Amino acid sequence: MEQMTSKQRFLAGLYGDPVDRPPAASIVSVITYELMDITGAHFPHANIEPEPMATLAAGAHEVMGFDSVMPIFSIAQEATALGCQVDWSDTDMMPNPTDSPWADRDVEIKLPDGFPDSFLEDKYVKCAIDAIRLLKQHFGDEVMVLGKVMGPWTLSYHCYNTQEFLFDTIMDPDRVRKSLETLAPVPLAYAAAQIEAGADAIVWADHATGDLVRNTMYRDYLLPHHQELIPQVEAPVILHCCGKTLDRVQYFSEAGFTCYHFESANPPDEMVEKAAGKMKLTGNVNNPVTLYARGPDEARAEAQAAIDAGVDIIAPECAVPLQAPVANLQAIVQTCKDNRHQ
Amino acid sequence: MSREEEIKKGLFDHTLVGEADEVVELTQEGIDLGMDPLDILFGALIPSLQEVGRLFEIGEYFVPEMLVAARAMQGAMALLRPLLVDKGAEPIGKVVMLTVKGDVHDIGKNLCNIMLEGEGFEIVDLGVNVKPEEVVAAVQEHQPQLLGFSAFLTTTMPFFKSNLAALSEAGLRDSVKVMVGGAPVTPEYADSVGADGFAPDASAAVRLAKKLMVDMGYDVSMGGDDSEGASALTTAVQAVEELMVKSGKHDE
Repeated sequence: MEQMTSKQRFLAGLYGDPVDRPPAASIVSVITYELMDITGAHFPHANIEPEPMATLAAGAHEVMGFDSVMPIFSIAQEATALGCQVDWSDTDMMPNPTDSPWADRDVEIKLPDGFPDSFLEDKYVKCAIDAIRLLKQHFGDEVMVLGKVMGPWTLSYHCYNTQEFLFDTIMDPDRVRKSLETLAPVPLAYAAAQIEAGADAIVWADHATGDLVRNTMYRDYLLPHHQELIPQVEAPVILHCCGKTLDRVQYFSEAGFTCYHFESANPPDEMVEKAAGKMKLTGNVNNPVTLYARGPDEARAEAQAAIDAGVDIIAPECAVPLQAPVANLQAIVQTCKDNRHQ
Repeated sequence: MSREEEIKKGLFDHTLVGEADEVVELTQEGIDLGMDPLDILFGALIPSLQEVGRLFEIGEYFVPEMLVAARAMQGAMALLRPLLVDKGAEPIGKVVMLTVKGDVHDIGKNLCNIMLEGEGFEIVDLGVNVKPEEVVAAVQEHQPQLLGFSAFLTTTMPFFKSNLAALSEAGLRDSVKVMVGGAPVTPEYADSVGADGFAPDASAAVRLAKKLMVDMGYDVSMGGDDSEGASALTTAVQAVEELMVKSGKHDE
């Protein structure tokens, strides 16, 4: 089969079309300290300035060889714009929200005045949109450019406080529903802006994970929102949800996602069996043990296991530890290259 | 079944499902009937919390169910606390708990704190986003037998290793046993970074903590002596209250 461009390969994997070899992807962050040194784009600049952000994201393709690039490394852009405190100054850590404006129950759950314009003009939100634009200019249609948004469940963790939000899923369902309804427009607006800037697909992170809540929480609270929101996104949408999810992937498949990015806590063959014919899959090379603490041989073995199981797009399972060696990530790509179809 | 036994069964059952009003009512009735506060605690509330932990371990309960059970227990503790007489018994061990640098997730750690304190451990909670140098300083200051590291993110788990390296550099590694846990953490990962033990959840953390204490030659038996029981009740009350303060303004 003729060699495909990275974008052609990724899209073929996403839609189940023939591929020259399995796509290898950066779905969420694959950046590492080593990649920062190689590209010359470091934290905190690569989190808050479009040019270094795009430069570092481009390294996922130009240094590691992945078929996609994704510049939104942290989970904090929307949180900042919605009023959470985030420390963006750290030189060696991912930024994280550190307080939640709605944790105080006396505070009304509502979006900031001027939404969506004020949201899209926020410095950190705009930075990511601009970085996507730069990546699109740089790669054109050669490489898949991914955007990333946080869905209303994950945004509720940030705006409402995770513990408080989980508590209220039982004790105050109306307030939980209010939070989800209020936040639902945020990923839609952000995704639309990213697509306008050049994103070819959107990663939608919504962590209603089996590590925290039962599967019926997803079905009853979040699935109706996803079913309403996902069809409004004018690009393929890849769900990212960490942790154990075999018990809810059926519900994910009813939400309209094109693809699901899953973790190594779920054996790839079992996940493929559950999702077969319903949505495509990407994942699931283990981060903390394999990509961080082991070597290229182990990374290669896990990538091969995912390929053999029928996973459509091979990728690390979640945001890669910043200390992971680049060679381990390159081993994922090389494994896909070694599986070139005749 | 006597009324006292009915009350204990009711406390167990209502705590299990987080029915706070019923737990408060039954606790008050038990007190009015002259029941021993320690019997209410160790005969009903702590076993119920342990059952909550067991149900979590086997996948029947999730984090929200654990949180509402802790809240229900808090109501009972508010009534029991004035009845306590702390007889000055020593805790069975001291644990410094923390969420590692770069990570602000603390629910799992807080639940571990509750279970550990309920079992008689003294907890020093360093909070979240704790840097390796702060870990070293806390070990120097508090001299615990056990250290607990929590991480919820694959991007922050490597700080287990950073913390252990910092302890080694400070010459403190052999003075303390280190437990690690958190949603993405595996036994293999715990081994690979050189931790002394891994616990997948709060109940397992209690078992691991006791095992490590026994390995170090400490006696971890408790509950048969009133003074030890009173101390455990004190710490359990504090733990539940701490959790609920952190979880928001749910106090009735």
